[in-house]
Amino acid sequence: MRTSRALGLVMIAPAAVMIFLFFLMPVVLTAIFAMTNMSTATGISGGAWQVTQTAVNRLKAEMPELAGGIAEPRFVIDEEGLAALEALKLKAGFGTELRTSHMGEVFPSRREAERMIKALKDRPSTREVKQISDLFNRSVLNTRFETRDQLMASLKKLGFTLTPAEQETVAATTYTGWVWTTENFRIIRNSPDMAQIFLNTAFYVSVTLLLFNVSYALFLAITTHYMPASTASVFRAIWLLPRITPVVIYVLMWKWLTWDSGFISMFMGQFGYPPKNYLLDSANNAWFFVILINGFIGASMGMLVFSSAIKAIPQTQFHASEVDGASRWQQVRHIILPQLRWPILFVTCYQTLSLLASFNEILLSTRGGPGRATEVWSLAAYHTALNNYTGNLEYGLGAAMALVLVVVGIVLSLIYLRIFRYDTLISKPLIED
Amino acid sequence: MRILLDKFSKSFGSTKIIEDMDLEVGSGEMLALLGPSGCGKSTTLFAVCGIHRPTAGRILFGDRDVTHLPSQERNVGVVFQSYALYPHMTVEENIGFPLMVKRIASADIKKQVADIAALVHIGDLLGRRPAQLSGGQQQRVALARALIRRPDVLLLDEPLANLDAKLRLEMRSEIRRLQKETGITAILVTHDQVEAMSMCDRIAIMKSGEIVQIATPSEMYKDPRTSFVASFLGNPPISFLKGKVQQGAFVLGENGLRLPLAAVSGIPDGTPLSLGVRPEHFGTTAGIPVEGKVVFAETQGRENLYDVVLPDGSVLRSIQPVRDDVKPGDSVRWHLDSASTFVFAEDGRRL
Ligand SMILES: Nc1ncnc2c1ncn2[C@@H]1O[C@H](COP(=O)(O)OP(=O)(O)OP(=O)(O)O)[C@@H](O)[C@H]1O
Ligand SMILES: [Mg+2]
Repeated sequence: MRTSRALGLVMIAPAAVMIFLFFLMPVVLTAIFAMTNMSTATGISGGAWQVTQTAVNRLKAEMPELAGGIAEPRFVIDEEGLAALEALKLKAGFGTELRTSHMGEVFPSRREAERMIKALKDRPSTREVKQISDLFNRSVLNTRFETRDQLMASLKKLGFTLTPAEQETVAATTYTGWVWTTENFRIIRNSPDMAQIFLNTAFYVSVTLLLFNVSYALFLAITTHYMPASTASVFRAIWLLPRITPVVIYVLMWKWLTWDSGFISMFMGQFGYPPKNYLLDSANNAWFFVILINGFIGASMGMLVFSSAIKAIPQTQFHASEVDGASRWQQVRHIILPQLRWPILFVTCYQTLSLLASFNEILLSTRGGPGRATEVWSLAAYHTALNNYTGNLEYGLGAAMALVLVVVGIVLSLIYLRIFRYDTLISKPLIED
Repeated sequence: MRILLDKFSKSFGSTKIIEDMDLEVGSGEMLALLGPSGCGKSTTLFAVCGIHRPTAGRILFGDRDVTHLPSQERNVGVVFQSYALYPHMTVEENIGFPLMVKRIASADIKKQVADIAALVHIGDLLGRRPAQLSGGQQQRVALARALIRRPDVLLLDEPLANLDAKLRLEMRSEIRRLQKETGITAILVTHDQVEAMSMCDRIAIMKSGEIVQIATPSEMYKDPRTSFVASFLGNPPISFLKGKVQQGAFVLGENGLRLPLAAVSGIPDGTPLSLGVRPEHFGTTAGIPVEGKVVFAETQGRENLYDVVLPDGSVLRSIQPVRDDVKPGDSVRWHLDSASTFVFAEDGRRL
């Protein structure tokens, strides 16, 4: 007994390793990325401290005064500036006077600095005033600091005295690398765009699932069950075509159908309608085709599962119910459907997850358009993280979106299991331990 | 209600299973379709209940031609060979199914189910599912489901095959009682001759798609039309002796046992024949003495069964009241009641 247990563990060890590596690790990594703000801008390694305009804008909310100050140029009379002044070979008196009477002074604006320069004894011309003031311009805007301390030292020199808490805020807003954050989830929760995408997804998944992957598949399976065997297999083969055609070609055929020079346009042209792109001309049409494209693929899988499940019902049960007086419809309702509970559960679960997670057909057909009308969650995550219009790929946000998808998938599966009363579907193992 | 099969034929694709069968079951009668496995019993039954369409011929219930009527409209109750209970329904739902599809009020169904369940003694199992029942209980559920809508015709396809001996005995009389009480016309398919003989008014013996003989059990036992029928009925079975006609007598082997029989008079000398001897007609008090050696003895409680090898090698079976004086290996000289034997031509025809 004990050895057989141990043997069992050894036997499943490779599978367990595989499951860990290829099933659990991606989820764990997704969860880790979801807790960061990684993007193209931050990179995925460390970063620097840089007072960019965006950083200043962000700082404005919390420290408006400081933000205003940092954004403005600042003028400091220092050795560096004096050395540059000497190199310009203007009158030597300028340098001497600035060193003796103004060394270390800080002027918050150009105007104030220039007023001081103008008042120098050697009377610089207006052009010279401008030249000199430029040399002492010490703004931190757009300067890159390799360490936090460099940034702080430089701010101090410019006359900003900051408490440690303020320093922390400034450092956080100017850091260009990625940081740990839960911001992604706040964005997902609060953004109206996300809400719209969520609704799109719910609509797309539920309509495709209910109409095609389950209902239509059931319809196909039941009707083929009552057909002569040869007709039924031809019929099934036809419905399998969308599944076995490579998806790129399959979607391309739909595009041919709906293009402005495609079949529908040509056909409608016979009745005097101007040609148009039926796939993308309105949100409703786009949804119509997106659901058909995915539905036809999904229906074939359900049809196969349901057909074989119906085949597994002993023939005598159909005979008995006929003799008992049941009509076709009553046979379907009372004999077939109740015995398809497990396959229906399986198909519903499986197809919900695959509809939630796959976006190839939508990407290939509408790309989420027109506008963002057919943008669904997984496609949005893809767009956010891997293929962004703006070029800033937000890995962290994309990962958070993917994580939401995983959680939604798990929650839905659990709900299905409850609805279909999974515990009554599985029978006790025949071999007792 | 009378059932009439008129020139009924059935083939699957190009294989003819049944050809031109005529069969009449009288109203209120219970008929056994008896025959070896694969002879077409279930096929015939399926045609009667409408699951199979006949390839040719007519099927009449009373005077109504039901040949092209779907099974739903024939009002037959069927107990299938495998019971065909609906696994996802409780016993109560299974039994009530024929009423449920007729949209009868559920309170009514409940009451009728309770009544019929009591009749077949499964009143306390109504909440269970078929998988939780023993074979015998499943069989009763199937019977209850067949009976609940008061069918005109009851068809039973080897209903007792899966039961133990005691339960089988019980159910035999139970089914017969129910059939008689309800006055329903019934066909019982079986390959067990005891079942056929004990339960049915008449027996139809089938062999590869044909009915060889129809008669009451005792007629058929006493007067089989062919050697096949003779060999099918009787337990322990009849034994056959191969021989030839010689001057109005049946002679076993070369100069072996000689039995003068009325049935062989007028048959030319040398015609090969076989003689059927039932075990109860060998070892009797009177008749023609036959010598042989006991090779097998078995007691069946009230009676003993012996196999006796004759000098030419053929075997005769004998059944006698229990006695202790004969053991295997003993030579015996027992009487054969030659008047009760059957003479068959080489092709099996009774002479
Ligand atoms: N659907 C079918 N297609 C082809 N041949 C069939 C079909 N059903 C039955 N048969 C054949 O018809 C013959 C008679 O079958 P049937 O089921 O009537 O036998 P049976 O007498 O009921 O035998 P058993 O006692 O074993 O049940 C068999 O040879 C069988 O192989
Ligand atoms: Mg059969």
